[in-house]
Amino acid sequence: MTRECSLLLPRVCTALADPRQPCSDDTCLEKLLDWFRDLTEAEPTLKLVQDNPCLTEFFISVLALSEPSPSILSFALRLAGMLAASENCFQHLQQENLLVRLFGEDGPLNSTLWEDASVRSGWVEGVHSMMHHQPALHFFCNGGGIDAIFTLQGDPSLFVASAASRLLVHMLTLSVESETTKPLDAKDCDWPACAQLIIKRIEDSLQSSSDSHIIQSLKLLTNLFGSCQATWTEVLWLGIAKQVESLLTEDSVQARHMVADLLLNMSRSHVFCDTEGSFWAVVTSALEHLTPVQAGPLAVGILRLHKCPQDVRIQALTVLLQPMDCILRAASQPMEYAGLLDESVSDPSTVESLLSSKSSCASLLCQTLAHLEKLLSLTRLPVDLPYTSLLRSFVTILQFCNGLLIPASPLGSKISQILIGCFRVQRLALDVLAALSGKKGCDTVIGSLFDILLAYLESPNTNPTVLKKSFHAMSKWLARLPEMSSFNSQWQIEKILQDVFLVLQKRLCSPCWEVRDSSLEFLTALIKCMKDQDVFRQSLLSSEVPKLTENLLEDPESYVRASAVTAVGHLTFITYFVPEPPVTGNQYNKENTVEKLQDILSTDPEGFPRRAVISIFTKWLRQGCTGRVEDTVRFVSRVLQTVECDLDWEVRLGGLELVEVFCVQTLCQRDHPKHPYAPVSSAVTSSIHQNDFLQIFCQAKLFNFLFRSLCDCDRPVGQKACDILLALRASFCPSSMLKDCQGTGDSSAEHGLPWLQRTLRQGSLAQNFPTDGGNGVDFQDPESMRLALGTIDLIELHDELNKSSDHVEKSPQSLLEDILATVGTIDENEADCY
Amino acid sequence: MPFFRLGPGAGQDVGRSCILVSIAGKNVMLDCGMHMGYNDDRRFPDFSYITQNGRLTDFLDCVIISHFHLDHCGALPYFSEMVGYDGPIYMTHPTKAICPILLEDYRKITVDKKGETNFFTSQMIKDCMKKVVAVHLHQTVQVDEELEIKAYYAGHVLGAAMFQIKVGCESVVYTGDYNMTPDRHLGAAWIDKCRPDLLITESTYATTIRDSKRCRERDFLKKVHETVERGGKVLIPVFALGRAQELCILLETFWERMNLKAPIYFSTGLTEKANHYYKLFITWTNQKIRKTFVQRNMFEFKHIKAFDRAFADNPGPMVVFATPGMLHAGQSLQIFRKWAGNEKNMVIMPGYCVQGTVGHKILSGQRKLEMEGRQILEVKMQVEYMSFSAHADAKGIMQLIRQAEPRNVLLVHGEAKKMEFLKQKIEQEFHVNCYMPANGETTTIFTNPSIPVDISLGLLKRETAIGLLPDVKKPKLMHGTLIMKDNSFRLVSPEQALKELGLAEHQLRFTCRVHIQDPRKEHETVLRVYNHLKGVLKDYSVQHLPDGSITVESILIQATAHSEDQGTKVLLVSWTYQDEELGSYLTSLLKKGLPQSTS
Repeated sequence: MTRECSLLLPRVCTALADPRQPCSDDTCLEKLLDWFRDLTEAEPTLKLVQDNPCLTEFFISVLALSEPSPSILSFALRLAGMLAASENCFQHLQQENLLVRLFGEDGPLNSTLWEDASVRSGWVEGVHSMMHHQPALHFFCNGGGIDAIFTLQGDPSLFVASAASRLLVHMLTLSVESETTKPLDAKDCDWPACAQLIIKRIEDSLQSSSDSHIIQSLKLLTNLFGSCQATWTEVLWLGIAKQVESLLTEDSVQARHMVADLLLNMSRSHVFCDTEGSFWAVVTSALEHLTPVQAGPLAVGILRLHKCPQDVRIQALTVLLQPMDCILRAASQPMEYAGLLDESVSDPSTVESLLSSKSSCASLLCQTLAHLEKLLSLTRLPVDLPYTSLLRSFVTILQFCNGLLIPASPLGSKISQILIGCFRVQRLALDVLAALSGKKGCDTVIGSLFDILLAYLESPNTNPTVLKKSFHAMSKWLARLPEMSSFNSQWQIEKILQDVFLVLQKRLCSPCWEVRDSSLEFLTALIKCMKDQDVFRQSLLSSEVPKLTENLLEDPESYVRASAVTAVGHLTFITYFVPEPPVTGNQYNKENTVEKLQDILSTDPEGFPRRAVISIFTKWLRQGCTGRVEDTVRFVSRVLQTVECDLDWEVRLGGLELVEVFCVQTLCQRDHPKHPYAPVSSAVTSSIHQNDFLQIFCQAKLFNFLFRSLCDCDRPVGQKACDILLALRASFCPSSMLKDCQGTGDSSAEHGLPWLQRTLRQGSLAQNFPTDGGNGVDFQDPESMRLALGTIDLIELHDELNKSSDHVEKSPQSLLEDILATVGTIDENEADCY
Repeated sequence: MPFFRLGPGAGQDVGRSCILVSIAGKNVMLDCGMHMGYNDDRRFPDFSYITQNGRLTDFLDCVIISHFHLDHCGALPYFSEMVGYDGPIYMTHPTKAICPILLEDYRKITVDKKGETNFFTSQMIKDCMKKVVAVHLHQTVQVDEELEIKAYYAGHVLGAAMFQIKVGCESVVYTGDYNMTPDRHLGAAWIDKCRPDLLITESTYATTIRDSKRCRERDFLKKVHETVERGGKVLIPVFALGRAQELCILLETFWERMNLKAPIYFSTGLTEKANHYYKLFITWTNQKIRKTFVQRNMFEFKHIKAFDRAFADNPGPMVVFATPGMLHAGQSLQIFRKWAGNEKNMVIMPGYCVQGTVGHKILSGQRKLEMEGRQILEVKMQVEYMSFSAHADAKGIMQLIRQAEPRNVLLVHGEAKKMEFLKQKIEQEFHVNCYMPANGETTTIFTNPSIPVDISLGLLKRETAIGLLPDVKKPKLMHGTLIMKDNSFRLVSPEQALKELGLAEHQLRFTCRVHIQDPRKEHETVLRVYNHLKGVLKDYSVQHLPDGSITVESILIQATAHSEDQGTKVLLVSWTYQDEELGSYLTSLLKKGLPQSTS
């Protein structure tokens, strides 16, 4: 703790304990606790308490109050717990009789203040914090505190209830791990006293007739098996396995959900990975007895495991595939498709009845689709899925949802009635369809896949979110087209692309900005992944899409303008930034496009389009699309002149990124062997050569922009400028020169460098910046700039910028000062959020 | 039975609003706010408490945002794009237009200042806004077949709305923040007498009766005027939207009236867009603005110009609106540093500042501030705090309860002590239950729902044919078969029910054996029974059938001799449930034996 803080702390403690000076800003108390947490990690806690007797006095004062404010009492409980985490500090506070008064039966536990949730929460958190040693464990187990914790598991506050559950897990683990003298085994299980107490309670609760008790115990066990993988957990499980299994057939829906969660956490523990163990029998039983909705999360969790018995895996797979199987069967004519599953493996009646009920059909499908998406998004899937059948089932669902399929079978017609127009199912089916595009072997269904996606893109009933997802799925599958064996003929691909662009044309003119924007994003995504394919380029350029895209540069909605900028920027990669630009007359004029984008950069009233322009310009530069050196210099200089006055700091930052790319590319040409920013070896490069590059940078008005940015009022801009200048210094100023420059500050006076340094320090360069170099700094002069790079202490500036104003704001001293300044002055400011 | 779970915000707190309502099996999240006082995960509600089983999107039926303030919508992009909620989000048209501006503004400040990476991006804000469904005032929006929502005008800020959420006959009204008195550019909140089961109301000013806003406005203008008159500069740190426009109207009108020449600047490029929205949503403003709109749009400012960084050094008086509102980064902080040293200047803080910011420090009276590089900035300029927030005060809250006539009230977004006072007042005056749960607490409210039942036309026709014509004033008892199907109820005729459900009718008959001592032949016993019944049951049709059995209405009586004792006759009595009373009467009659006289 700094001296300043230790001087402020006693006053803060006094103020906090003074009921006449309410400190109603709870964030201050939270931040104080954060600070104490850091302190207890950095120095011995006992010393901290002894060096700052005001802390003990604070506890005494709070306890002496007849009606302390709940927030202060809660703070005191949490702080005391944090300090008592160290064993010797615990003893110290015990000697002072503080812990009994704060956490014992005569404390808040039995006062009216206990009714306040924040006090209960503070109490539980305090106990949790101190629970790091046996004395604390015994203090609670012997003092009856454990009853209070068990009761808190059923607290009306979710936070308190969940904290109490976590605390019991922590206490059980601490007790077993610190107090067990010999290894535990199932037959002769000699649990330590505290653990015994907790386990007995768990067992009793599991057998009780009270649903809430059962659920609390299951939550506790789920937490335990999720956080602890010690071997003793298996001994614990053997003791409760029967009771847990019996819950699978109980009526309580919530309890069955909880059992599934518990088994899922256990299945991830290496303690239970032995495939012979009785645990897996319970899992199998769960998969059999639970409803598909309850078993779903467990099934997907099991399928993600790399080690698990094969029959359990098949059972889990059945749970997930059954709804899709029913969909396929419901949709097909008798015997047309075999479905996904062998009927001997599973009885589809439960799933069929769920799918034919309006209240459960959509939720079961949503859950199953979400699980399948999760599985399909895994890069390494431990189980093989029948991709083609799955794709067919997803397509079928989408057909049901937009009324394209109304099968004759009773189940099929029922499902199609329920699903028609169901956005929830549409969204998920499209997501999972996109995820499936990464898997091989779905070629046979591809025709109907594109048909249904096109139908969604075309339908006026498609809602904007569904449309966005349809675009996403379409772009994913289009990217796969060329590699598909069923689509080997050019005209087939061409036909699909033509259809897509026709729809896109329509969508680009939608009155709804969300639709126009998603359409533009789709176009950009397509160009990114298909720009190398002739058929794509030809189809796109022969459509109206490029023209419409360009029109959207003037859209009234700024989001759309920004997306149009990005799309137009990418379109250039297939119009004129290709080795052989297509012969399309004057339709695509490079200068015209650049001019339009420049115009947006300098005049658009909103940041998004301007940011999009600068990012496209940077992309062009990176791809080497800006032509010869002279053209590039002109281009960069013009962009920088526009950007430097921009009100949006992210546009200015974008300008610096452009500068960075420009520097990298220019310096690359200098034939540096490896890294463009590699320090200069004077033996390799002559100073004349160096000057040529500096000259280029000066012509591009780089230094002008960089030094101005150094003093930007927005920190990231200053930081970036400093990074670039440091890199340039490493490139242009050999270390010997750095020493010389810094040693002879006077010699650079003629270049106005002291002025520059002084102004930079004052942070006022932007205001005092010479427009024509009149103050003596010539930003166009390479030699001046080299000297500037060598002379200004960029490293110090860099450190300063990295700290930012935030270091003051975050400092404990500032916090303590703020608390002192605010105490007693709060009235309605606090409530006046807006 | 709706129940209400308050997320980690909104309860007894003014930090961030996030309330979960479960009503008739539907789950709705009301607001998704952030706490600006934290720089870490604590700024967002802890969404892991919403559901422990399953996906958020499956659990939640929709999210409703009441207005564009960050403590009500600031966590939305985080929730939808980072936590993964993918379902529908509802807000009014102005909120949908303005919300992304504020989110973007806040994102920029956060990233600018802290360089934070675990924060939502511009793209995420856009993607989130694309999921938003905009609603009109008083438009009933069907979220799904059962759940409907409806927005009501809330005042407070442009686009702010109260929402009624209805499932079947159960309903909840959530007020968000509201204002019951009209101000310079907005009208007063209004709701119809919708009698919800529960009204969830904000209680920011639970115990306050606020002075007139006009007084505060006059005070503000006076202070600005005095400073400008003596040649000083006035800095007003604001967030891009909301308060800023209100103050702009105030100054613009004052400048016009007093013919003042000192320039007024607005520092960000966002003004234009903000003002554009205020112009666009003119119908959401108050009557006065709408009336004068034809002559002059209040949001077309003559005196307020865009600010250039170089202007800060200009000599002479000026007024500058600059972002951000808490003086913790960017333009406003830079201007403050330039002007702080001159006692002629003034900074007016029109809103709340979180701990740690320069705004908070100067408001709490600190005058020597440590800036970067350990420089000490001495603040000599005048510092003023002006509250312009537009929340309902205690009187306004009571007025709204009177308007809506809820059956229960739940207070949120306020301080515990003040809420307790208001709770007692509400319970006394309206005789309804009032709740004030803490953050994270669940409140369960029992409702007494009246369940609507559709009646088939056939049944109605039949009933009217046999009875009197329906009279609205007299309730009429209907007989029929109640079918529960797909969460709806229908009363139909039994025949129709059988037909619809594909069932055959089963006849249920009760049977009973009565032993009587009679040595005569069976047919003679039957005759005796027939005569006896005919004598007793004069109003009923008693028949003696050729097969030897007797019928009384649907009751059938047959006699046989006892297999072991010929002197005992066994009467087999059988009846349907419609004639249950008659059947049991008849049985008890026969059990008494036959009178001698009939023999």
